[in-house]
Amino acid sequence: MSELLASALPSRARMRRTAPAVVSAVALIAMIGVCASLQSDVLTVGGLTLVLSATVPLVIAAQAQMALMSVGDIDLGIGNFVGLVTVVAATRLVSSPLVGVLMLLGLVAAYAVLGALIHLRRVPSLIATLGASFVWLGLGLFLLPTPGGSTPEWLASFGSWAPAGFPAPLLPILVVAAVVYLLTSRSALGVRMRGLGSNPVALQRAGLRPLTSRVIAYTAAGALGVVSGLLLASQTGGGDVSSASSYTLMTVAAVILGGGSFFGGSAVPWGVAIGGVTLGLVSVVLSLLDVQSNMQSAVQGVIVLAVLAGRVVVGKVLR
Amino acid sequence: MHVDNRGPQAGRPVVIAKGVTKTYGRTRALAGVDLEVRAGEVLGLVGHNGAGKSTLMRVLAGLEGCDEGAVLVHGKEVSGEAGPRAADFRAVRMAYQETSLCPDLTIAENIWVSSRHCLPRVRWRRAAGDAVRRRLDEMFPGHGVSPRDRVEDLSIAQRQMVEITRASLVDRLDLLILDEPTESLGPDAARSLYDYVRRLTADGTAVLLISHRIREVLSVADRVAVLRDGAVTAERASAGLGEQDVLTLMGAHVAVPSDKERAAVSAGGPADGAVVAELRGATAPGLRDVSLRVGAGEVVGLAGLAGQGQQEVLERLWRPVRRDTKVRGTRAYVPGDRQRSGVLPLWSVAENLIVTAMRGLARQGLRRPAQERAAVGDWVERLAIRGGADAGITELSGGNQQKVIVARAFASTAELVLLDDPFRGVDVHTKTDLYGLIRQEAAQGRSVVWYSSENAEMAHCDRVYVFRAGRVVAELVGEEISEERIIAVSFAESDGEQSNE
Repeated sequence: MSELLASALPSRARMRRTAPAVVSAVALIAMIGVCASLQSDVLTVGGLTLVLSATVPLVIAAQAQMALMSVGDIDLGIGNFVGLVTVVAATRLVSSPLVGVLMLLGLVAAYAVLGALIHLRRVPSLIATLGASFVWLGLGLFLLPTPGGSTPEWLASFGSWAPAGFPAPLLPILVVAAVVYLLTSRSALGVRMRGLGSNPVALQRAGLRPLTSRVIAYTAAGALGVVSGLLLASQTGGGDVSSASSYTLMTVAAVILGGGSFFGGSAVPWGVAIGGVTLGLVSVVLSLLDVQSNMQSAVQGVIVLAVLAGRVVVGKVLR
Repeated sequence: MHVDNRGPQAGRPVVIAKGVTKTYGRTRALAGVDLEVRAGEVLGLVGHNGAGKSTLMRVLAGLEGCDEGAVLVHGKEVSGEAGPRAADFRAVRMAYQETSLCPDLTIAENIWVSSRHCLPRVRWRRAAGDAVRRRLDEMFPGHGVSPRDRVEDLSIAQRQMVEITRASLVDRLDLLILDEPTESLGPDAARSLYDYVRRLTADGTAVLLISHRIREVLSVADRVAVLRDGAVTAERASAGLGEQDVLTLMGAHVAVPSDKERAAVSAGGPADGAVVAELRGATAPGLRDVSLRVGAGEVVGLAGLAGQGQQEVLERLWRPVRRDTKVRGTRAYVPGDRQRSGVLPLWSVAENLIVTAMRGLARQGLRRPAQERAAVGDWVERLAIRGGADAGITELSGGNQQKVIVARAFASTAELVLLDDPFRGVDVHTKTDLYGLIRQEAAQGRSVVWYSSENAEMAHCDRVYVFRAGRVVAELVGEEISEERIIAVSFAESDGEQSNE
């Protein structure tokens, strides 16, 4: 009987790996509960849409961060990159859509080149992406020195799309998580990426080029960064290169909350989606709780630390 | 199924090495190896530390090109100027001792990484999983592994099984290289592995078996090749060959200790003088019931094959937290890997040298530059460190950097100095200087515990403990210490000790 039970339950190792995401999910549910007790409208479709919409670009940028962290790198430029995309969306994409699309594709290509350079020149990714973040910032200021502009019609209408049955922000979150899951966890390309983060020597002995793995990861991160920027622009209705600068470190925290690792090798798209929404909701909860705005960052940090501590405790128990 | 093996016809040479040489920096790892592996045979390869086994395997598996000579696969020369190409070596597969699996990937995904040429493009996960499950059932019945398990969740023995299975899964297998395959396997798994090896060779595949368990090699292999100082010094049919014969071929001096010598062992040791450090029946991961003593003014060597527990002993002595370890006095540690844990690269020679002694010289927490400078000057002169005290540490040659690291330990007031194989890749002159230093310091009453993978170095010790599989298998004193004796005892297996859980 106990054997039957043991085979029905997920293995201890599997539980240990999903534990961080479960801890974040518990925190997420708790926060929605707090919101609902303060403001009962939160649990309606409209309320959830409002609460969740702010988290969408963050969650998608976090998926980009996870793609890089799965090969063992960290991206310190993703915030400014997302900001630059909003600028492109609010300027060239409106005035001449073709040029705008080409520019966005060029940005993705730039990420691929950045990955290749990091690999070939053996530059630490932290330094290279930090350097790149200033390039993104400079380009953004060059295109649009002050926040403004307007987003294309189709983007704005997607931003204000409100279906009746379910909260609209769930759609991009789930679709992107599913795509990233297929790429990183189910496909051979994902095996190459995680293999690089896990044991580059084994990869090389098997005749796979680590350079290819890294370029795939950077290309995926660039593409996800563009999607994140477009969604952010659809919500704000304009471009601002520094609108997403806080994403850089928030995305790292979201990956860690979702069960990722600084050392690479693991891909946790669903966990990252939960972690990203949890992080995004913290500020919503704090403003509903009337926490002073100058205290919000500190309280946000404390909550993140608490969730991370919970992850460590659960990890120890399940070892 | 796509990943089942077909082998070539028996008897023909599969891989031939002709006069292969390989040099890394100053060390000559291979000095003209001639070796032939024939289809349908098991060739055993034995040799001591640094004989060139791992380099030879890397060359035979096509991971590295050779400097001179040639490697022929099926009679075709494959080491060109540009280094070996993977395609030529596709039918040569190697199972590594340390495994080459990605710990974060599942077993099926690891199989994709190494055998993707033989898997379908779609639904490869299922194909890889089926193939690996069948091969595991065949090679290691009762393995308890599922293809969906992640490698990091497996035990070490299971990882070893998966690694061997991974290497064997390919559409055409001509040569399978097994590097210490049974090191972490239990006796049952080892037996079923060798059963499988015999079936493989019956189908015409060649197997190259590297192991320091000589008895095992003799029981499985058809021929045995002995590698010594980077060259194959002997190649014999294993039929009629005994363990002692192989040890003799490897350069071991096999002596049955006479009663007199036995008495010397028990009487010798640190009876004279105070005991500085002592391990009593220490047992831990990598250590099994180790007892040893270090007397004042004694140089104690830890010898044997690499990774048999010597470093764990040093670790114990460095941090004597357990009750089975007693250490009196202060200690200093000289790491073997100077780049990673030795030098402080941004500092000068003087700062690197004095950093440990600094606290002893200081008065009330304030450094005393004059005394420090005097001490540094003294050591720089004594060891003839080129470049002087003010040079940057990274401007020095490797040998001189190593002198600084050793001097750092001896410049402190530590009573016990622990050396973790510090003279690997150091030139002969520097070594001679440092050996002299160790003897001088011991004469002044310091104790030294010295792990070295180079058996010749052990001649500078007063007493040597030889390790195998986490145990002390011999204690050699004075005249008994010789390279030949150390080789003999680090390989010889006494009865009933063959299993290694």
